Amino acid sequence: MAEVVLDKVNKQYENGFHAVKDLDIEIADGEFIVLVGPSGCGKSTALRMIAGLEDITSGTLTIGDRVVNTLASRDRDIAMVFQSYALYPHMSVADNIAYGLKLRRMDKSEIETRVKRAADMLELGPLLDRKPKQLSGGQRQRVAMGRAIVREPQVFLMDEPLSNLDAKLRVQMRAEIAQVQRDLETTTIYVTHDQTEAMTMGDRVALMKAGVLQQLGAPQHLYDHPDNIFVAGFIGSPPMNMALGRVERSDGGITVSLGGATVQVPASVTAARPALASYAGREIAVGIRSEDMEDASLARDAASRARLTTSVALTEALGSEIVVHFPVDAPRVVTEDTKALEEDAHTGDAPVSHHGNIWVASFSPRSRVRHGDQVEIAIDQERLHFFDPETGLAIRD
Amino acid sequence: MAHTTSESAVQAATGSQPPELVRHGSAKGGWFRRTGFSHLVGILALAFSIFPILFVVSASLNPVGTLSSSTLLPREVSLANYQTLFDGSFPRWFLNSLIIASLAAGISMLISACAAYSFSRFRFRGRRTGLMSLLLVQMFPQFLAIVAIYLIFAEITELWPAVGFNTSAGLILLYLGGALGVNTWLMKGFFDTIPKDLDESAKMDGATHFQVFSGIILPLVAPILAITGLLGFIGAINEFLIAIIFLREDESKTAAVGLYGLIADPLTKNANFGEFSAGAVILAVPTVALFMYLQRYIVGGLTAGAVKG
Repeated sequence: MAEVVLDKVNKQYENGFHAVKDLDIEIADGEFIVLVGPSGCGKSTALRMIAGLEDITSGTLTIGDRVVNTLASRDRDIAMVFQSYALYPHMSVADNIAYGLKLRRMDKSEIETRVKRAADMLELGPLLDRKPKQLSGGQRQRVAMGRAIVREPQVFLMDEPLSNLDAKLRVQMRAEIAQVQRDLETTTIYVTHDQTEAMTMGDRVALMKAGVLQQLGAPQHLYDHPDNIFVAGFIGSPPMNMALGRVERSDGGITVSLGGATVQVPASVTAARPALASYAGREIAVGIRSEDMEDASLARDAASRARLTTSVALTEALGSEIVVHFPVDAPRVVTEDTKALEEDAHTGDAPVSHHGNIWVASFSPRSRVRHGDQVEIAIDQERLHFFDPETGLAIRD
Repeated sequence: MAHTTSESAVQAATGSQPPELVRHGSAKGGWFRRTGFSHLVGILALAFSIFPILFVVSASLNPVGTLSSSTLLPREVSLANYQTLFDGSFPRWFLNSLIIASLAAGISMLISACAAYSFSRFRFRGRRTGLMSLLLVQMFPQFLAIVAIYLIFAEITELWPAVGFNTSAGLILLYLGGALGVNTWLMKGFFDTIPKDLDESAKMDGATHFQVFSGIILPLVAPILAITGLLGFIGAINEFLIAIIFLREDESKTAAVGLYGLIADPLTKNANFGEFSAGAVILAVPTVALFMYLQRYIVGGLTAGAVKG
């Protein structure tokens, strides 16, 4: 077990493509860190540099107390789980797990006990004599995990290990991997493009875009205090609702007009974000999460809340909540960040609407709103997010 | 596929009639188009390939031993031709053939595998040029260069007689060069289909390049190794044009060269045909045996289960 430190790590390919730019991350001993971002953001390249499968163009990479920039993968004392599992097809499960130990000329009896221990941990016992092609996707995934943990390395690297599994299995393996990591307390670097995995698994999340680290912190911190529009839009499902508003100074403090509605910004919020006042008379990007809106007829302290009146475009009853889609008459926020997010959504399967600005709110299941209804929506002003529409940065101080 | 669709179409057309009866009704025309035709082609191909084999086997058993007395089915059966063959130099030639063919096939397989691994896995200066020149060089048959090769080996024979004319080693060396290009290309294509994740995974597990090559890649490319080995063996054991220029001494001849000697003389060629045929039959045995042995490795889908899928 060891800490991993990336200090101004860069990766530039020979064709000039700059995949990772000045990446600084300090990963504590035993920490589970998730590198997340849309495809092509450099997260896999960063992981492959830590693994020793890619050269580091500049910067230093330290594992434990050794600088390992020029060390071969096999001397770094790390194990990696590949997206494709990369099991050796001609070896049985047991041989797959034991291969790394055999290469290290470990004692036969020691190999046996270790393989057995790993197999017990991952419930692979009855499968040890099978070949990879006789296993299901989830079982193969477990074997790949087994191969990593049996070596008892200083660091686990995982490159989208769950993306080849179906949704149900993914949820189950997500919990299993998190559990194994907690039991072993091995420093783990986990790459994914799925923000749910990032939110649920990591002690900390590092969100990357175009080779640049956007924000590094606890998942809840990224969710509640995104540093910029990209983080706000990437973390959370559904993504944060955004619209362009105008900041006005009034007697009671500061108000933000969103289309036809005017939202009074509470004093506590302006106090926490002193810079907000300087935007008076200017446009600003306003964000709100879906759960911070409620059917006004059901909301507690609804009287004190700001309201939007709109018609419901679509409802999705999920049982525990009703997801309500509705148009907002304030213009959409368009920045580099939102374009990048949209591109990412297109590569995935999330539908992107091009008709005006559609917001999504999660109502309590007791709400009776249906498609086409006129509805009053109460907004929790305390939970508004403000971003500079030019730079995309969060407005704080 | 066509089978099922035509059947279901018939079923649909005839409505409620049971399918058994329907099949009987349309038996003649339908059967020939579905099965009979392919059987006919198969039988023709079989006849075509069996005819020469049968003729040679018959000739080898013909006690008279002349070409003019040989028939498709032997009138009389005896092993006299085999007897005379083994009393002569044939055992020596046969041994030479086996040694040359096995070593040439084995060594070229190994060298090509190493070359293919490098071309498939490493990125280095001159990789493309190397691949292209290999392709170009192997486009010309080796026999085109026979004069140059002859002159080179004339020189070599004077300096190092051990690998010169009339030696198995010299001929093996020559065969190796000839097979390398095409084998490397063939193998590189196959190596490219082995996911690179496997190499990387083995590297993370602590394997060196050589361990990746020998422990992970080689077992997975067994089919292509078997094929190149087999082709190399057949090519070398049957090779005649170069061998006859190279091997002039009776001791050093391969079976192909030696057997040709039996029928080369216009005066004796009719008389020795039985012996020649017997030699040809025996020479086919190792090839067939090797093929039977390697058959089990020539199967696809060895990488199934390695990665997603």
